[in-house]
Amino acid sequence: MLTLGVESSAHTFGIGIVDDGKILANEKSMYKIGTTGMIPKKVAEFHVENSASVLERALARAGVKASEIGGIAYTRGPGIGSCLQVGQTVAKTLAQRLGIPIVPVNHGIGHIEIGRLQSGLKDPIVLYVSGGNSQILKLSKGKKRHYNVLGETFDIGIGNMLDNFARGAGLDPAWGSTVEKAAMGGKYLPMPYTVKGMDFSFTGLLTHSIKQIKGHRIRDICYSIQETSFSMLCEALERALLVSNSNEICVCGGVAQNTRLKAMLSMIAQDHGAKIGYAANEFNADNGAMIAFVGERMLLAGIHSKIIDCDIEQRYRIDQAMVV
Amino acid sequence: MLEKFSEGAEAVIYLARLYGKDVLIKHREPKRYRVRELDESIRIARTKKEAKMTVKAHESGARVPQVVAVGSSAIYMEHLHGKLLKDIRITKDAARLVGKQLAILHNSGIVHGDFTPANIITDGKKVYVIDFGLSEPSSASEERALDLLLMKRQMTKALYSAFASSYSRNAKSSKETLSRLEAIEERGRYQTRTLA
Repeated sequence: MLTLGVESSAHTFGIGIVDDGKILANEKSMYKIGTTGMIPKKVAEFHVENSASVLERALARAGVKASEIGGIAYTRGPGIGSCLQVGQTVAKTLAQRLGIPIVPVNHGIGHIEIGRLQSGLKDPIVLYVSGGNSQILKLSKGKKRHYNVLGETFDIGIGNMLDNFARGAGLDPAWGSTVEKAAMGGKYLPMPYTVKGMDFSFTGLLTHSIKQIKGHRIRDICYSIQETSFSMLCEALERALLVSNSNEICVCGGVAQNTRLKAMLSMIAQDHGAKIGYAANEFNADNGAMIAFVGERMLLAGIHSKIIDCDIEQRYRIDQAMVV
Repeated sequence: MLEKFSEGAEAVIYLARLYGKDVLIKHREPKRYRVRELDESIRIARTKKEAKMTVKAHESGARVPQVVAVGSSAIYMEHLHGKLLKDIRITKDAARLVGKQLAILHNSGIVHGDFTPANIITDGKKVYVIDFGLSEPSSASEERALDLLLMKRQMTKALYSAFASSYSRNAKSSKETLSRLEAIEERGRYQTRTLA
């Protein structure tokens, strides 16, 4: 079923087109965060300005006409309200004009499901790490399935922390990879390390790191903030793996593109004889294809909403979203 | 060669005999994913703290294993025979006993830090609290409430209510702790967290 997905929860406006799980197009435009971070009104304006051209590019890339699309999916949340509204409006307009079914999708489910299914994992422990989210999850059992949150951040997402530090250190946090690059060749400095069971916290580490800027090399702080925060994630993940007797790990979300984090997680997988799978980087960054991918599965399972009932939910919890 | 007794996420437990007694040796193994400095500081600090907190808990009158000896990354302790609560069907009586043990710990200014059925042993009559690896001396209601929250997430409603009422009867500042727990659960992010 030719399905078009619209993603606009944060800095990326993306449109993807899938057919039978095959990605035909995955176009996007990204708002540059710069030194001010994301100002909701400005990011939404950026999305409004770019939505039509992203849509055109996606249709051209897929080689299909709008009239051939059979279903629409959009990100309902979680995300920034004003940004979500742009994607929702585009999706509703398309569904209305084309007279086709529409389905709201949870942003995190998009990242996880495309990663899990494309890497051929059945029932993995999932590490979902991005700017706004840091969670360890596992699919529930039974017929009506959802993801249970085994552990998560008590405060901010890990990507948000890394970007915040980069900004504090006068670096330019261009969608997250700044700290990773600046950490090359750094030396370890002791940092606060907070893990409680399978939950963790990043604000103490952020505050401490910002305080270290005077008197230490930025490179060493970047190295240490990465080593410390990733070790926290690894400890919680390893515990989740053992507690749940799972032998599969799925890693997704923007921070899953970090090569050091990947190397650490691979060691854990190897030590426990577990299979590890990642989403392709294209789907770890925010994108419309993952929304189309999950949306198609939902539409084929008979799930859709009336246009008038389609809303957004800034705090749409992942464990409230059905998985098909 | 020591006999491996069990393996957790951060330590391997060996069975041994010391001074003619069965003892368990909890050794925090190096983790190769962590840089050496961080790995060593975590293992040494946690071993030291765990030993100290286990002894403190024992002195408070709570049912916990007795510490026999301590090395830089290993603790030698009494071997308690029984089953982990996570491996059996938890009864209401057991839940009540667990609530009382937590109250004894909190009354002595000890928070456990990883208070789940995986860290409770029962012999069918008594319950014992193990693994003080994440334990802290603390009089903060937030920390105490997190102990309750972790157990709440792992119990059915009925079991949790037996656990919580026994805790309330025995804990000195239970009112403050329970209202803090409500406040934590009301923080947006956690309102709807489901039970695994």
